[in-house]
Amino acid sequence: MDLSFLTVQVLSALRQAAFLFLISSGLTLIFGVLNILNFAHGALYMLGAYFMYWITLYIVGTGGFLLALVLAPLGVALIAAVIETGLLRRIYMQEEIYQLLLTYALVLIIDDLAKIVFGPEFKSIPKPDVLSGSVTLFGGTVPVYTLLVVILAPAVALLLWYLLHRTKTGKVVRATSSDREMADALGINMSALFTLVFAFGAILAGLGGALAGPARTVFPGVGTEVIIESFVVVVIGGLGNLWGALIGSILIGSLETVGIIVFPEFEMSLIYLLMVAVLVVRPWGLFGRPLKVKALSEKNLAMEAQEISPVHFSVHPAVRWAPLLLLLLVPLVTGRFYQYLLSQIFIASLMAVAFNLLLGTTGLLSFGQAAFFGVGAYTVGLLATKAGFGTLPALFLSPVTAAAAAAVIGFFCVRLSGVHFAMLTLAFGQLIFTVAYKWYGFTGGDNGIQGIPVKPISIGGLAGIDIGSNQAMYYFVLLVVGLSVGLIRRIRSSPFGATLKAIRENGQRASYLGVNVKLYQWTVFVIAGAFTGLAGGLYALMEKAISPEIIHWTKSAEPVFMTIIGGIYTFVGPAVGAVVYIVLNSYLVAWTEKWALVLGLVLLTLVLLLPGGVVGFVNEKARQILGKSGCIRRWSFSKSAK
Amino acid sequence: MAFLDLNSVNTYYGRSHILFDVSLSIEKGEVVSLLGRNGAGKSTTFRSIIGLNPPQSGEVVFKGERISGMRAFRICRKGIGFVPEDRRCFPDLTVLENLEVAIRREKEVASPWTVERIYALFPRLQEREKNLGSQLSGGEQQMLTIARTLMTNPEVLLLDEPSEGLAPLVVALLAEMILKIRKEGVTVLLAEQNLHFCAKVSDRGYVIDKGSVKYEGPMSDLLINEEVKEKYLAV
Repeated sequence: MDLSFLTVQVLSALRQAAFLFLISSGLTLIFGVLNILNFAHGALYMLGAYFMYWITLYIVGTGGFLLALVLAPLGVALIAAVIETGLLRRIYMQEEIYQLLLTYALVLIIDDLAKIVFGPEFKSIPKPDVLSGSVTLFGGTVPVYTLLVVILAPAVALLLWYLLHRTKTGKVVRATSSDREMADALGINMSALFTLVFAFGAILAGLGGALAGPARTVFPGVGTEVIIESFVVVVIGGLGNLWGALIGSILIGSLETVGIIVFPEFEMSLIYLLMVAVLVVRPWGLFGRPLKVKALSEKNLAMEAQEISPVHFSVHPAVRWAPLLLLLLVPLVTGRFYQYLLSQIFIASLMAVAFNLLLGTTGLLSFGQAAFFGVGAYTVGLLATKAGFGTLPALFLSPVTAAAAAAVIGFFCVRLSGVHFAMLTLAFGQLIFTVAYKWYGFTGGDNGIQGIPVKPISIGGLAGIDIGSNQAMYYFVLLVVGLSVGLIRRIRSSPFGATLKAIRENGQRASYLGVNVKLYQWTVFVIAGAFTGLAGGLYALMEKAISPEIIHWTKSAEPVFMTIIGGIYTFVGPAVGAVVYIVLNSYLVAWTEKWALVLGLVLLTLVLLLPGGVVGFVNEKARQILGKSGCIRRWSFSKSAK
Repeated sequence: MAFLDLNSVNTYYGRSHILFDVSLSIEKGEVVSLLGRNGAGKSTTFRSIIGLNPPQSGEVVFKGERISGMRAFRICRKGIGFVPEDRRCFPDLTVLENLEVAIRREKEVASPWTVERIYALFPRLQEREKNLGSQLSGGEQQMLTIARTLMTNPEVLLLDEPSEGLAPLVVALLAEMILKIRKEGVTVLLAEQNLHFCAKVSDRGYVIDKGSVKYEGPMSDLLINEEVKEKYLAV
């Protein structure tokens, strides 16, 4: 290895690290103060790049490149300020997941809007002549632009340090990030500070985008690639810690450069592997500290009261069994489209209901459920195509392998909580995704597995039942999903389920009562993983083809959406959410290309207006009406004064 | 109308009712004690005044202006300073920085607190000026949180259990500090479980239990009222 090669590689690693730092420093700053993991940060990065494109093209020209580099981030900051004051501010009192979802909805909306405004094609931003040449450094040829980036990022880091440690506002920001409530009581205007920090974080993202745009390319959705990388960086460094972001950026930047040279196939896997390794050794990241548990007074108790409310009204059994009867009759009168659509809904329901065993029941936000769905699907796919397994044995093994995967992943994940838990599940999920995506010899790589045979089911050597037709498959899926959902309901209402709810309400108190919290969380993680794997197995049988896309993290977001749409603290909520989601998806995709925009707006509306979800809303209304009509007793905690 | 009034304040955490028709009345320049056991509602009363747990009914009136319903930072800027019981100094900031971030209302008062005046009152803080909040001892942290709140130039200081967990010597020192602060013209409302500490520094006391006020009167009367002491205070 000679010096020129080394120079080029080191500078390339540093350039990568510089981009990562610009994005993740803003992300970590926003998390530190606002306590929000901003999914939309990648979208802001994208906007920075688009504004750079637009400003250099139409306003200042390539000659005003440096001016554009200042203007573009300011434009992004303006948009961020509008987002913070108009949307985010309304839900600071809600639980973290709603803030996470709101920013995710923004990603969908901003990405689609960018597509409408700037067009779907790749854009490249021209550099001025001064910056497009290259120089020779220690015998290696280095682009001038790389030098600019590599000098600018440390300058930004220094500036950040100065602002945070030497200005009054910076000190206030640091104070607020360690104790928000105290800062409030000391006369610090939290609202103004939050807007300022969010906008400032957006400037950093915008600068990252504006600077990266000319070096890479710009296209709608470029933010989704960037955001996951920066999540990895800030989680490795420690959420909310600026030096963590710096060290994390250098680590990931170097690993990517080395990875491309040494293991070009598994470069992305290396990154997730590093993240997993760091979190296993240091659960809060290299420079991070455990997050404080939210005080009871900070939580929105009204929503949880939906479930703990002693006012229960049960539906007449006839009403409860009628939908099932209806579902049994539907395929007799409808065509293949509806049979397929409903089967899709069943499978999605199973995944969502199993997911809510984690979120709604136990209070664990998993962002890696697609991994177990994928493991289940690939189990069926591989066993049926390569090992000649029958349909039932292969399907039976899908929850087993998924449970095994969940046991390993869960073992590490349950040591964390809150956002850290979500991020570690995300990392494991992506690790499995990158492996399935690249391991051509085993998983078929990005081609996936086609032509999965659905052999007739033979029971005890008797005549086989063929479930190859759409109608037969419908009944088969309905049966398996129905039994599974019934089982999950049983688990949820068992003493085991009650313990899980106690852990969600207050894990610390549950442990004072002798509950082994981690063991319970691990167990439920495995159970949820098994059912998710079963859903994946059914999916493989129904579609008869699978691809690694079903493991991608965006697939993990689906059960989250469904649960939020339907209602997090109800049992049927996720299933209702699955209906809404799949139906919206099927019809909107046929009707408009702007499917993501519509989904984003729906999510945004739900998070802002119906935080209890559709089912939660209906329950609440029913309770009010029944209460007013005197059918049920009105109820509250308060004792009469004195 | 008194300097600071609470009129039938009712406060909830979620759906649990914590304060029941709490009424207090504090005159300018007084040191008033709010006595009660753990969980009696002392901290919630303070959190209701400062706006961290706004009352659901009733009102808090300061200098004739209704402040209940305002956000905490506005109430602070009106001149009410809150020192929480768990001494929450900012752990990542130095002692000096802890003081600097709290500077407020300098123009509203005749002789605003400065870092120099604070150091004169708490010499120990000057010695530890460059240390981080997390590196201080319990007594030093208590001094720092009081000092930090003084930097907001409050007219009323809400002190939540300042003597808790401190060594007797430090508690005696603290009593002196409170009397000095009072001399500077600051009205003090003191939540305590320690009756004798209160007797040293305050003129009047309220006894609170299960979220409502059970007794009010001069400290000298309270000291000899065995029934109230027996029933509501752990003496």
